[in-house]
Order: sequence, then structure tokens, then C-alpha cells
Amino acid sequence: MSNLNKKLIIAFFSVFILGIIGLFTIDQATQSRINNLPLITEIPAFELENFDGKSFTEANLDNQITVASFIFTQCEGACPIMSTNMGLLQKRFAESDELQFISITTDPDYDSADVLREFSNKYSNKNNWFFLRGSIDNVVELSQDGFFLSASLLPLGHSTRLILIDKDRNIRKYYEGTVDANIVELQNDIVTLIKQG
Amino acid sequence: MKKQLFFKSAVVSTILSYLLIFVGGLVRVSGSGMGCPDWPRCFGRWIPPTNVDQIPSYIDPTAFNIVLAWIEYGNRSLGVLVGFSIIVLNIIAIYYFRKEAKLFISAILSLILVLANGALGAIVVSSVLNPFLVSLHMILALMLVSVLSYACIESYKLIHVEKFKNLEGNKTLSNSLILLWILIFVEILLGTGIRTNLELVSIENPLLSKGELLNALDSYKYFHSFLGFTLLFLSIYIYTKLRNNSLYIVKFLGIFILGMIIIQIFLGEMMVFFELPQLARLFHTWGSSWLVGVIIILYNCTSNEQSK
Repeated sequence: MSNLNKKLIIAFFSVFILGIIGLFTIDQATQSRINNLPLITEIPAFELENFDGKSFTEANLDNQITVASFIFTQCEGACPIMSTNMGLLQKRFAESDELQFISITTDPDYDSADVLREFSNKYSNKNNWFFLRGSIDNVVELSQDGFFLSASLLPLGHSTRLILIDKDRNIRKYYEGTVDANIVELQNDIVTLIKQG
Repeated sequence: MKKQLFFKSAVVSTILSYLLIFVGGLVRVSGSGMGCPDWPRCFGRWIPPTNVDQIPSYIDPTAFNIVLAWIEYGNRSLGVLVGFSIIVLNIIAIYYFRKEAKLFISAILSLILVLANGALGAIVVSSVLNPFLVSLHMILALMLVSVLSYACIESYKLIHVEKFKNLEGNKTLSNSLILLWILIFVEILLGTGIRTNLELVSIENPLLSKGELLNALDSYKYFHSFLGFTLLFLSIYIYTKLRNNSLYIVKFLGIFILGMIIIQIFLGEMMVFFELPQLARLFHTWGSSWLVGVIIILYNCTSNEQSK
């Protein structure tokens, strides 16, 4: 009997310890999500044009969480997957007015405003996704010096990463735009940023 | 001596498997399932990296979160440990108990289940945590602890033949225990169904609060609560049948089952009214896995069919 009581006390104690370990682990995991979104760098000044002719500058990044990509419309490899994934996120966060999307063309010669509008109709289902163009020099500079993404041999040599930018124009993280696991992670990180306010 | 060896090995495997279910639950509630994006290694290493420089070039380093990686790694390491303990159990079974069908088959079955669940773990990761597969991963773990609990009690009965010799079989009680086990398994399936659907709705609607997510579920979620209370009455009935039993372990397990079901109902209601606190979720899942194993032990303690 007393032997059993001893075992019972050990069992209860073990469950208690497991509870504490569980609580600690859950807390650490939650904290790590926030810590894992470091401030990487602030986006420098730039000026591009949306397909509707309106100017889009760094000021348009203020007070919005932004998911950015570099694409071109004739691209047959990564761009359709990246854009489909961005469209998916746009749909899932349709209720939020704190999130926007930008796609910057790396082939401004071909991607006229009309071509970009057509491309937009294919992937975007809300007016919070801007398809931007500018001179190729501006785009290369913005990609390399603003986003720290390689931009050699454009239009083909653009990065396939999606960039998460917070409400203060800071780059927080990069995601491989064609990998499902990265998109899930991006989605979770957007939720974390929205919850942070 | 040999029987003791098998019994101890089975108990160690069972306890480790229960710990594994706890850690697996922890992975799920803390959202660490993708902590290691590859399998079986973690960021290309057998021991997870401790800083970003250790990540091989072919893996995207932005996905690296050291805390989540180590939580997931804990689950995998413990899984390997369970695998080894079950291999030891099988070696003992093959060496000494080839003719003892109950022990031999339960050992082999537990090995098959643990291997299958390890392989399923790889598929879970490659599916980027498909909620159906995650739930199936847990169901297989429940089947594993069921088989191991059976191995424990059957080997215990072989050691303590005297204790169980004069058991008067009670058909109603046996049937009630079978019914309780089946209903608890159904209850767990309903619970994992709720969890699966919550996760599916949450992927499509990441901004819904947990309360809104619950409201978005079909009314079958109430069936989970309803069945919970049915289980409570059934376990009270079983307890009244057992409280005068001559075996202390039988009385104890009767109280354990009743108490655990009450705790489960309490945790379940807490999850609804306090918007699913993660620790309550963890213990709700874990407690249900204990019930599955304990009922099997109790059934085999009270069943009058004797192993020789």
C-alpha cells in the first residue's frame, strides 16, 4: 500500500513537472516567433508606378504590412507559382486592411501598364496588390541595394523570394516564394505582425 | 526471471511511448512541427544547428527557428528511443516467448506500429503538417500504447498467476469495459476531428480568433461534449461494479478512469470557455491517451480468461 502511495506521489509529481515543462516550452515557442522576425534593414526611398498610372513610393509602405516580390509577366517558371501563392495569401487575409502586396516587374520594356493590368486580373482579387514598374536601372538598384536581392541578367535573374516588410518600412524576413513550407511560415509571420499591431 | 524481464521492458516501452505522446502533443500545440524542414535530419544535421551559420547552403536559412527546431528534434529523438526500447522488447520476445502468443504478437505488433508511425512522421513533415496526417500520427501512437499496455498486463499476469487465479469473471463488467474503450476511441476520433477542422479553417482564415474558429465548426462538436458526459455515466457504473473487487489494482484503476474522465470534461470545457489555452489542450490529448491504455489493463485484470 505505502509502496503504491509512494509511486502515486512520484506520478503526480512527474505530471506536475511535465506541466511546467509544457508551459515553459509553449512560452518559448511563442516568444521565438516574435524574436525570429528581426529588423533587417529599412527600405530606402524609391519611386515606381502602379499599372493604373499612380505613383508608388516608400511612403506607401507606411502603416501597412507589405509582402513584396520581383517578377515578370513572361516568366514561366517561378513567377506564376510566386504570384499564385501571393494571391492565396491575399485571399486568406482579405478581411484585413493592414496588409498589402507589391510585385515589381524586372522586365519593364515588355511589361507595360496594360500588360501588368492583365497579369493583375489573373492573380489578384482585391485592390491591395500593386503591380509596379520603373526604369530597369531603378529596379536593379532597388533589388540589390534596397532589398539585398541579386538582380543579374534581368529579367530572368530576379530573386524568387518574397519579402515581408513591416509597417515601419523594415524588412523582417525573406521566404522562398515557391516552397509551400515557406508560404505557411510567411502566413504565420503575417499573423504575428498583425497581432503586434 | 524471463517474465520479469519482458514485463519491465514492456513497462519501459509503455512509459516512454506515453512521454512521446506528450512531447508530440507539445509539438502540435506549440506549432513546432516544421521546426525541422527536412527528415530524418534537421537542417541537414543529425543534431540541430545552434546558429544560422551551421545551416547547409541548400536549405533556406530564413526558415530557421532554433526553439522550434529543438522542440521538434526532442520529439524525433524520443521517437528513436521508443523504437530502440521496442526493439529490445522484441529481442526478449523472440528469444524467450515465441510460443507465448499474447506476448510475442503484441511485441511484434508494437514494432510494426512504431516503425509505421516513424515513417508517417516523415510524410507529415513533407506534407507541411497536413492536419489529417498529423491526427493519423496521433491515432497510430494511441494504437501503439494500447498494444504495449496489453503486453504489460499480460506479462504481469504471467508473473502473478496466483493473484488472478480466483477471479470471478463478470460478463457485464467485461462488456461495459469493451464499450467504454470503443466509445473513448470514438470520442478521441471526434476530438481529433474537431482539431483537424479547426486547423483547416484556421489555414484558410488565419485572422479568426479561436472563439470564432470554434463557432465556424459544424454542430458535431457538441457530440464530443455529449459523448463525454455519456462516458462519465458509464465510468460511474463501472466504478460501482469494481469498488468491492478483491484486487487493489482493479479498484484503483476504476477510480483512475472515473477521475480522468472528470478531469477531461473539465479541461474540455476550459478549452471552450477560455479559448483553447494550449496547456489545457496538451493535457486533454494526453489524458485521453492514458484512458485508452488503462482500460485495456483493467479489462485484462478482470477478464476471467487466464493465460497459462
